[in-house]
Amino acid sequence: MASLSYREKSLYASLIAEVVIYVPYFFLHGHDSVVKVAAMIIGIIILQVILQTVIAAYTRNRLTDERDRLIELRGYRAGYFTFASLMLLGLALLWFHASIGHLHLDSARMSLHFLSVFFGMLVIADITKTAAQLIAYRRAL
Amino acid sequence: MPAIRNQIRELRAAREMTQQDLADQVGVTRQTVIAIEQDKYSPSLETAFKVALALGVTLEQCFQFDPRGRR
Repeated sequence: MASLSYREKSLYASLIAEVVIYVPYFFLHGHDSVVKVAAMIIGIIILQVILQTVIAAYTRNRLTDERDRLIELRGYRAGYFTFASLMLLGLALLWFHASIGHLHLDSARMSLHFLSVFFGMLVIADITKTAAQLIAYRRAL
Repeated sequence: MPAIRNQIRELRAAREMTQQDLADQVGVTRQTVIAIEQDKYSPSLETAFKVALALGVTLEQCFQFDPRGRR
């Protein structure tokens, strides 16, 4: 870890927090409750604050430079394209289900399901952003 | 071959300057100096001038451009 820059350590911490909180939520539990979504958001915030505080405390040089900013932009670009692609896919699936009459927007359970799918897209885009930044750091850019 | 190459490693070694010393003088991280030395990252013009200034050479002595190199 000594050869990693502050930003890189911070990104690894973010990725760990995202995986620890999001993966169990999406794969181990049913995601049909607003309380669970709220608990997950609070959980990720608390875990991020703890991890980032520890990293900041144990890293003397917290300098970020032009390369860090460039990598950050690349990460956001990758995250944006992922989110846009998932949204298009989601809209296409929505249209498909509507066209064959399998869509019942009036039920509360369906609304919650949409919220969960939308949140899932954000999560995947966020993980993609972090992963893309880490790959850029490992490749030296 | 990369389009922009540099002699930073040789110039730095001749001055017995560490990567961290150069990074501190230029205002970048040590990882960025490593990336520049390995020709994996082309710095901005401002950083390139700062590197040349820190090594006490001109920009051309420090960085070379090969138009046939890969970008």
